[in-house]
Amino acid sequence: MDITTTGRDSATIVSIAGRVDTATAPVLEQAINKEIETGHRHVLLDFTRVSYISSGGLRVLLATAKKLKTPGDKFAICGLSSEVHKILKLAGFTSIFSIYPTEGEALAGW
Amino acid sequence: MPGGSDTLHPLVWQPVPGTGSARIYPLIRKIDTVSSNSYLIATPDVLILIDPGGLPEQAEQLSQVIGECRRERDRPVFVFLTHAHIDHFIGVVGVPAFACPETAVFAVQEQGAEALERGDAKLTQAEMLGKSLAPMKIALPLFPRAWEVNCDIPVSMAFPNGATITITYDRSGTVGGLPHGRLEFGSGPALDIYHTPGHSPDSVCLRMGGLFFIGDILFAANPGIAGMYGWDQVALVQSLDRMLTRIDGGGITTVCPGHGRVVTATDAARMLSAVVTDARALSDIAELNRERAEQAAAFAEDCMEQVNELFTIMAGRLYYVSYVMDELGESDMADRMGALIPGDTIDELLEAFAAFAEEHHRGEHLSIHLALKAAQVIGKLGRAFRKEELVHIIDPTLVDRAGRLLSDYTTMFRGFNPPGERSGCSLVPVIEAIVTGLSVSSCSDEDMLSSADDDAAFLQVLLSRIGTRPLLEDVAFSFAAEDRFLPVFIDRDHFTDLVTFILEDLVGTGSDTVMLQVLRVDRHALVIISGNSTPGASETPRKRSFLAGLCARAGGTLTCTEDAGMRRFVISVELE
Repeated sequence: MDITTTGRDSATIVSIAGRVDTATAPVLEQAINKEIETGHRHVLLDFTRVSYISSGGLRVLLATAKKLKTPGDKFAICGLSSEVHKILKLAGFTSIFSIYPTEGEALAGW
Repeated sequence: MPGGSDTLHPLVWQPVPGTGSARIYPLIRKIDTVSSNSYLIATPDVLILIDPGGLPEQAEQLSQVIGECRRERDRPVFVFLTHAHIDHFIGVVGVPAFACPETAVFAVQEQGAEALERGDAKLTQAEMLGKSLAPMKIALPLFPRAWEVNCDIPVSMAFPNGATITITYDRSGTVGGLPHGRLEFGSGPALDIYHTPGHSPDSVCLRMGGLFFIGDILFAANPGIAGMYGWDQVALVQSLDRMLTRIDGGGITTVCPGHGRVVTATDAARMLSAVVTDARALSDIAELNRERAEQAAAFAEDCMEQVNELFTIMAGRLYYVSYVMDELGESDMADRMGALIPGDTIDELLEAFAAFAEEHHRGEHLSIHLALKAAQVIGKLGRAFRKEELVHIIDPTLVDRAGRLLSDYTTMFRGFNPPGERSGCSLVPVIEAIVTGLSVSSCSDEDMLSSADDDAAFLQVLLSRIGTRPLLEDVAFSFAAEDRFLPVFIDRDHFTDLVTFILEDLVGTGSDTVMLQVLRVDRHALVIISGNSTPGASETPRKRSFLAGLCARAGGTLTCTEDAGMRRFVISVELE
């Protein structure tokens, strides 16, 4: 799994490529936590190149949602593949945080 | 192995109880399908090796120990096979100490001996395990066809390794009907042999003093073993009953299996009794041959992809409940919810299977090994899966389907094919029940109100309300049945699972308009489920294969099409 972090319009965009599984979920969590700890509280996860998410990955998403729930915080995910969208939808996660088709729509709409 | 005992120590010479002069050197391995345990016995007259195993290095190690014994005191060597499956002997190929009857005489029950002499790849399981097998010379066939005719007559035999032995097949030594023979190698202790077919037609047990060598019979009712070529349920049950009678008859202290740790006679009797119970339930199972191993491996991959998805969704749903409970200040309950499914353990199991499957596709593992790996992972998932608690918190449709998938694989792998129980029913009410279950919350507002006076009941209803999300609640769903009288013969559980999987796939991948139609066309009922398609939402070939298999188990056939932005699934069921 590769993670790249960029800043745009006051948002921190964390782009992930590969599988979010037992081995890689902790790496993603560390990368997100590092951004939050340095004061970046508008976090957009770009999942365009994520092919698989395990329950460990879901837990990281939920942990992030918990950390970013003070007024003014923003947390969203964009670019879900149909497989990953299905997991998030059926697990009930789509009611916890916002999901957008693309990065542009996320930044315009959140 | 449960009920283990340390009455024999591995790789150490120790007395054979009840013999005075014999010693044993056990080579006991962790259980696998590659190689068996080996037991080397030294008496003043002879060296007896029981099952040299499936690995060349194991046979080489035993060859060195035999060499040391012969330098100490030269004696002829006999190699007894508890049965002629290759994991019990193939390691000897190419090892000089076992190359010819002048160096070692092989003794195998006659059917196994004949199989080895003709290089039979089926009875030896060489074909199943993808090994080649050259014919082998077996100088001492045991229980020859005429043994009952020549009963109670001692027969002396001389061998190229210099040994002269006396064999007596006798009725007087028979306990509980177990066919028995006694081999005497000189003045030292005798070796008793018992014919115990079932796991294979040539299976034998051997006894010297208090030790009883039983080959693979403890595993003979296990998935992936029961049903192998040569396996015989009726003979197995009879052999097990007779062995139990023999153990009860006394004189046996320690039982030495072909795989895993040795056990006390008491523990062995308990374990054999459990095997009898399992074996009795295995009538009419299909033969486990290479073709079925390949089918099982394909079914395993289809199933595991869905199992992976279902367990991830269930774990996610529990995390979601945990999150909401935490928001409500119920942190203890939040922690308890998070622990109901051991997500990390399950992820690791599923990822280990996926990695193994990839290795299988690269040619590193045989189909039977992938099928066995799936059985192992599914067994562990089943133990980690607290179904009874989960159905009260998250959608029972998720929990039940996951449970049925695990059970389907195990049932299929055990040889009951196809798993399914069909019965006559009216199709439209079945579909209406499915649709209602996916449209209405399992906990109504009425349930919430009526539990308000009882903290525990209210919490339970609240958990369930949070954990269950009717699949069709936020999609435009329509249902039409033009004919309500459609009698069909289906497996209702599998049919329900099939329709649910299809609807879940459509809704989960973004369809916001879903239609379900039921039609009569000639002698068939057609259930047509369609939804608008989203980019990249088509089923994978594996998903199609899984749904087609599930539909066959339900009692129908399935076609999947995609056209003009619509995905369409047609289930066809013959009318009664």
